[in-house]
Amino acid sequence: MNRYPASLPATLHAMSAKRAAAIWLVLALAALVVLMASLALGSVSLAPSSVIEALSPLHAPASQGASADLAAEIVRTLRLPRALAGFACGALLAMAGALLQVLLRNPLAEPYVLGVSGGAASFALVAMIAGCAWWLVDVSAFAGAFVSILLVLGLARRELWRGEPQDTSPRLLLTGAVIAAGWGALITLLLNVAPDNRLRGMLFWLTGDLNGNAMPWTALAALVVVLVAIVPAAPRLNVLLRGDAVAQALGVAVVPLRLRVYLAASLAAAAAVTTAGTIGFIGLVVPHVLRLAFGNDQRMLLPAAALGGGVAVMGADLIARLVIAPAQLPVGVITAIIGVPVFLWMLLRAPR
Amino acid sequence: MMHTASHAEPVLSAQRVTLRAGTRTLLDAFTHTFYAGEIWCVAGPNGAGKTTLLSTLAGLRQAFAGHVELDGKRLADWHAQQLAQRRALMPQSAPDTFSASVLDIVMLNRFPHLTGWGWEREADRAAARAALDLLGLTGLAARDVLSLSGGERQRVALAAVLCQQAPLLLLDEPLSHLDLHHQIECLEALSEWTREPRRSVLFSCHDLNLARRFATHALLLDGNGAAYAGPVRDVLTPALTSRVFGYPLILIRDGDHEALIPAPRSRHESALAHDATARR
Repeated sequence: MNRYPASLPATLHAMSAKRAAAIWLVLALAALVVLMASLALGSVSLAPSSVIEALSPLHAPASQGASADLAAEIVRTLRLPRALAGFACGALLAMAGALLQVLLRNPLAEPYVLGVSGGAASFALVAMIAGCAWWLVDVSAFAGAFVSILLVLGLARRELWRGEPQDTSPRLLLTGAVIAAGWGALITLLLNVAPDNRLRGMLFWLTGDLNGNAMPWTALAALVVVLVAIVPAAPRLNVLLRGDAVAQALGVAVVPLRLRVYLAASLAAAAAVTTAGTIGFIGLVVPHVLRLAFGNDQRMLLPAAALGGGVAVMGADLIARLVIAPAQLPVGVITAIIGVPVFLWMLLRAPR
Repeated sequence: MMHTASHAEPVLSAQRVTLRAGTRTLLDAFTHTFYAGEIWCVAGPNGAGKTTLLSTLAGLRQAFAGHVELDGKRLADWHAQQLAQRRALMPQSAPDTFSASVLDIVMLNRFPHLTGWGWEREADRAAARAALDLLGLTGLAARDVLSLSGGERQRVALAAVLCQQAPLLLLDEPLSHLDLHHQIECLEALSEWTREPRRSVLFSCHDLNLARRFATHALLLDGNGAAYAGPVRDVLTPALTSRVFGYPLILIRDGDHEALIPAPRSRHESALAHDATARR
């Protein structure tokens, strides 16, 4: 009994370079629109023309008067770095999620599942309790993420290294999950012993916050590194999804590829966590929404996840700045409020 | 060994290959050459090393000792992409985690033929469609792999290795989960496929009668180091299979048809078995 026609339907076509490029173009345009909105909207709203003027390198402060100066100042030093940081973090988180879902062959994997964010958070909280400067908190967070990466790598090295056609992913996942649980306990301990006057900042850090972000460059640099490391490997990742044996039989060196994916995903998560704390749900929801819409071809999906994740976090941060303006919410609250119902709907909807 | 002139081209050769699982020796210094045009059935009890042997012959794992040569060149010396164009391996199972169309899954095996940025060309799509057509799967091309039954999944995996267009196929239990009709259809498709020059198939299988009907040769592993290789009717005999499987098998005939079947238990034996279960 076959409900499907005996001949191939004309609409059935696999992903092609052309189709992927069209998807990327649409997402890039969406990113541009959200970026413009992020620069124009806020406690002081600006017309698109004055945003463009403020961005133009030829902008001459003296000729435009005080209000144009203020607009340029807001756009250039406050909104642009923050929007770019949001874009970079979203892109990194969505890519990290997509990569770990492939690596662990588990649709529920997300950037923090292997403990990267726990390590970053624990180290950052220690720095905050010690009253360190903000840049030291960032450095500390990155160090924590790195420690966590090395810890998982050290413990699960046999699973990553062993070049045998066996399925090693479950043990890697379990190792990461246990490490993450350990960090979780440490974070609770730190929150308990932290002095009251520092608790608010610590909680904001844990929810994911782009407020006062003036340094998008580390995250943007990490994004470039991850894209360069991963996009050329996308065809191999497609094959890796069919299991180690199939991938090896097709000529893919599975162990180096798995190591590369793990390191790229970890770097992405570490850079994002360092820049904006633990913004939830982006790494889970964005790749899945794109998969539902366009399929699971990694050649299309990984760049699309970068663009889509960027749009999502920039957009969520815009909402976080606007809903109770002039006060602001942490962006992680918005991504969770939107992400939880979206994810539950995806999980529980009737199968096609 | 008897080989007709057209089949005399050696393809794959195991040189004193020893396989171990833990401290157990599955295969001891196995030396044999497989020729083009042959269809080999690899048979033996569970855990005898069929999968281990196939993945060693495919170059996915190192033998404990000895080595394997393909076209006279050691597997370790092959370039990965060229090896993948020369031989294909179908593992016992492949995970399906995410939705994908059957056509997409089959086309993944075009990987060794991709160039540049790794996008398929029209020739790759044509190969995937031809492979689906050969196994009568054209109607499933648009189906989500997650919605397939076990047997359908197995046939899709077989179409995938065929679409790889490698002249040597190593198939690990390609017939498992298939109903009788599809078992025979798949074996007919493989026989048909092998008629082209230079092609050969090794597949592991538990159905000795299908093997006797469709394979040209058989390799029987006893799991304790010994292996019996030769023309299928010389190897899958009642005497040899009874010894290897540890259960008496007899050959029955009906006209031209033959079948290896397990011998009925004697009354004494079945009474013992009944006693044993009753006591538990």
